[in-house]
Amino acid sequence: MKLSLNWIKKYVNLPKDLTMTKLSYDLTMCTVEVEDTVSIKKNLNGFVVGRILTVESHPDADKLRVCKVDVGDTEPSTIVCGGVNLAPNQLTVVAVPGAMVSWHGEGDPVEIKPSKLRGVMSYGMICSSNEIGLEDLFPTTQPAEIMDITNFDIKPGTPVAEALDLDDIIIDIDNKSLTNRPDLWGHYGMARELAAIYGCQLKPFDKVELPKTTDGLSIVIDSKECCARYAGLVVKNIKNVPSPFAIQSLLWRVGVRPISLPVDITNYVMLATGQPTHGFDRNHIKGSIHVRRAFAGEKLELLDGDILTLTTEDLVIADEKAAVALAGVMGGKLDSILSETTELIVEVANFDALSIRRTAQRFDLRTEASSRFEKGIDPQRVDDALAVIVSMLNREFPEAEISGYVDNYPMPLEEAKIRVSLTFLRKRLGKELSEQQIDKYLKSLGFEVSFNGDDMLVKVPSWRSTGDISIPDDILEEIARLMGYENFEYVPPTVVLEKAINQRGACMERALREYLAFRCGMQEIFTYPWIEDEYILASGADMSEMLELSMPPAPNESHLRSTLVPGLLKSVFTNLRYYESFRIFELTQIFKNNNYHSINETLEMLPNMARHLGAAFVGNDARVLFREAKGVVEHMHTGTQMEKLSFAQIQKPMWAEDKLWINILLNDELVGEIGLVSPKVTRDAGIRRSVTVIFELDVEKLKPLASRNNVFTHLPEYPRVNFDLSITFDESVKWSDIYEVAFKTGSVKDVRFIDEYRGSQIGENKKSVTFRTWIGSDEGTLTSDKIDLVTKQIAKKLNKRLGGDIRGL
Amino acid sequence: MLDKLKDNMQSKENTVEKNDLFARLKEIKTAGIEKINATFLPEELQLVRANLIGRKGKVTEILKSVGQASPEVRKILGQAANEVKQVLSDAIDQHNEHLLDSLSSVDGEVDITLPGIVPQQGGLHPITQICYDLNDAFNSLGFEVFSEPEITSELFAFDNLNFPPEHPARESMDTYWIKGHDEGHGAKRLCMRPHLTGASVRYLQQHGAPARFVYPGRVYRNETTDARHERAFFQYEALIVDKDFSFASGKILVKTILDKVFGRDVKVRMRVGYFPFVEPGFEIDMLCLVCDGAGCKVCKHVGWIEVMPGGTPHPNVLKAAGLDPSVWSGFYINIGLDRLVMMRYGVDDVRLFHSADLRFLNQFK
Ligand SMILES: [Zn+2]
Repeated sequence: MKLSLNWIKKYVNLPKDLTMTKLSYDLTMCTVEVEDTVSIKKNLNGFVVGRILTVESHPDADKLRVCKVDVGDTEPSTIVCGGVNLAPNQLTVVAVPGAMVSWHGEGDPVEIKPSKLRGVMSYGMICSSNEIGLEDLFPTTQPAEIMDITNFDIKPGTPVAEALDLDDIIIDIDNKSLTNRPDLWGHYGMARELAAIYGCQLKPFDKVELPKTTDGLSIVIDSKECCARYAGLVVKNIKNVPSPFAIQSLLWRVGVRPISLPVDITNYVMLATGQPTHGFDRNHIKGSIHVRRAFAGEKLELLDGDILTLTTEDLVIADEKAAVALAGVMGGKLDSILSETTELIVEVANFDALSIRRTAQRFDLRTEASSRFEKGIDPQRVDDALAVIVSMLNREFPEAEISGYVDNYPMPLEEAKIRVSLTFLRKRLGKELSEQQIDKYLKSLGFEVSFNGDDMLVKVPSWRSTGDISIPDDILEEIARLMGYENFEYVPPTVVLEKAINQRGACMERALREYLAFRCGMQEIFTYPWIEDEYILASGADMSEMLELSMPPAPNESHLRSTLVPGLLKSVFTNLRYYESFRIFELTQIFKNNNYHSINETLEMLPNMARHLGAAFVGNDARVLFREAKGVVEHMHTGTQMEKLSFAQIQKPMWAEDKLWINILLNDELVGEIGLVSPKVTRDAGIRRSVTVIFELDVEKLKPLASRNNVFTHLPEYPRVNFDLSITFDESVKWSDIYEVAFKTGSVKDVRFIDEYRGSQIGENKKSVTFRTWIGSDEGTLTSDKIDLVTKQIAKKLNKRLGGDIRGL
Repeated sequence: MLDKLKDNMQSKENTVEKNDLFARLKEIKTAGIEKINATFLPEELQLVRANLIGRKGKVTEILKSVGQASPEVRKILGQAANEVKQVLSDAIDQHNEHLLDSLSSVDGEVDITLPGIVPQQGGLHPITQICYDLNDAFNSLGFEVFSEPEITSELFAFDNLNFPPEHPARESMDTYWIKGHDEGHGAKRLCMRPHLTGASVRYLQQHGAPARFVYPGRVYRNETTDARHERAFFQYEALIVDKDFSFASGKILVKTILDKVFGRDVKVRMRVGYFPFVEPGFEIDMLCLVCDGAGCKVCKHVGWIEVMPGGTPHPNVLKAAGLDPSVWSGFYINIGLDRLVMMRYGVDDVRLFHSADLRFLNQFK
């Protein structure tokens, strides 16, 4: 919202030495955020008033003229100009050589230099209103029109800002910070706030006489729940003429386009008091004015030309025959102030915030009026607006007659009173305040305070009582912000030391992430919880158990992930554009439309939201990737203080191919799966090269340990020896069987897989498995005979039980 | 010794033959030492040894010829030859040791400017990194880490937090409601949580007061996305609840976060701000680190950058948490982690955080 400093100063005498920097800072700290302050004068620097003396044609250019212009110097300047409305004696705006000017009222200033135009030297430029950012105040009627200010009787050479009385500063307030302060949506409200901050006097509005008669005006509020008050004035003998420049200029400064005097007055009132008003052509209003809900399908043509089809939720102003305005949003085109209007009905009303917001939203119509009503204006403000409007009418239309007045205010606003304990204030502020201090701060904001022992009773002014101030904490805030938050020094809180924090769940989750990232060399990723349907379909996940968003980000992204696999597939797909081989993981919640449960409130039934861990290993060798993934899961407990996981083939994941998959178990419970993504899934996910192994784990099922559970084993007293064996088996023989046999041989302490080999030397359906065996004894060093013996025993057992074949033994 | 001997010899009447032998011995010694020191490989040095003092070495040859000399010369000459042998042998041993000490175990030439071998290339997401850094800082102040699930109800997302019934955030255009659970009100109406604050009431209901805890996590808003706006983003919220806690003590939460993230003492200011769940509420600014408050492009020439909202829990929030607001008070702060990471590293597009793009993520090791 834009505010004019000069306008604010009509209502309050600010301290003489107050700089704009200080004002912005103080307002930002205590009240609302000042986004920017703009000096209009500064933007008009370098432009002066010039009087055109002569206009002659240019010797070499049809469209250019050579003018003599008085710009306040002893000699007239020669200026070449292409303006179509140049005329002798005209007053206009000139940028003279040496001046630094900002074109269009913005950007960095540039210097004006004399220049030759088609062979004729030109000393300066005659400007159009558009070139100096004043097109809204001085609209052009044709292209290449220079700004004409002949109506202003000003000496040539006068700076334009001074000539047009535009020495003002525009304060731009962040609208978001104003949301909760409906009292600040006008210049008077901001003046009141500044008066409180700087302890200055606020001027009251003019006292005005309102007519005692209705002059036939009748107002019926049919929808009392949406309209607390509706006042109307009948004004006769007005003309739809342009406003005086001073009024136009004020409106223009704060971003409102001047239209005509009657309309500008209604806008002026709104900008002054924050109370929107509206004018109807009295001759168009048949019978009583009604404030009612629209009929279903009722049509209304608005001032902007849009024809709306209304709903029964929309509030309208209507006469006996039809709706004449969309209440609190915009007037109707047919019955508002028209060019031939001579008699007015001026509406000053209070409408319900929510109703106005809904309607404005429904039709995507945010107007100056609706954005004010939406914040919740107090009905008392109607009186302020009436005072301003009557004095404006008296001044601007001396010949007009205010002949009728009706104020329909069925339920006057109740005074809000808050009881506050002084002890509460002192404790929460951390400061001792006297009753006088408290009284001073609150009074300056319009509150009335009475003290009674530890209690004080605070009467809230009407303009702060529509939701903003209702509890003792609000009063505390009012005092604290006026004292200045910077004046409260940091007070270190005192704490009671209790038990140390021990959060196993949170620790395990972090340990898991750090294990994967730092021990396993994997990169953590985040993906959205909603996923494109194509990846869900590719993964074969069951859509029927997924939750859906009512209004998804995109039509094909309505499902919430019930598994991390689709997101991993997508991430693999996107990263394969830049990488051939990588490892990624994500640890986050999944969502399923089942297992509804309560965590705080029995009525609140929340769906299944287990945390899952998903990982993808991408490269070229499926066997190696699979073993890598398995290794990461197999050793997970070592880095994360949780119970050890085991493996078994129980149920193939939907997305895995037939051979390379295995389930992950914890104490016989299925907790996850590892698998090579099948060719079909790979293809459906758009992945063209590389193979992907994925694992997914239900983190909720993992069991964090209370402490580390490693055990120490004595170092062997006698050295251990190891030897490698390569033995050929049928393909059907599994490593786990080989291990079992070898490990259960006497003196064997450890057996580890090294390698497997397939090839023509070995024969079809055969493989050669190489493994390393450690043997040792607690009684003494093993002799070479003993080592030979154990080696032979292992080979023999593997041969007998598993058909293993070792040459040379 | 040898020179003295030679002088002795020359003072006497000696044969040419004897003089020749002494001269040769001297020459062998000088050349030998030179040769030894010019040798760079231990194997070569063994050849040099054989050549000089080996069985067929030059000194050995002279020693062998000593027998043919006259008895008075024989003794002196033998002594001299043995002396030379010893000197050479010592020189060889010494040089051999030197060669062995300075020997490289690398064959051939090396290029020491080759890059190092990259260690395991894993990493945490930058949001996780900053989150864990903050958890550590708050843990050290005795704060617990709490989390609630990402789907919550209107009761916890809005009702408990003093959002008025007609607040715009409750409408479907701002919040992601869950299909089939979007009709009712309060506990029955489910959504992707639009902020973290609801979790504070969950925690307080479960644990009571006094309480100190943080609850980081991801939140969701139905927005049009661009480089500055996201539908899913991360927040970090901390709450302290204690008896008669003054808002002036709340600064500790703000400072803990900013000092940790920026690694230095960051100046902050608290100014008026309005949020339904706090009273009084604050907008908290930090002094612009780029210009130190002088005003620059980054801070839009204000000198301060808005970093987080905060404030004292609204009495209605405390009541919803089952606490008596006349006894308990406290302070909230809430900071956007995405924006913090963006400020910290100069990341220019918030959508990168959910892109899973390794070209981006690999930069945060
Ligand atoms: Zn700056």
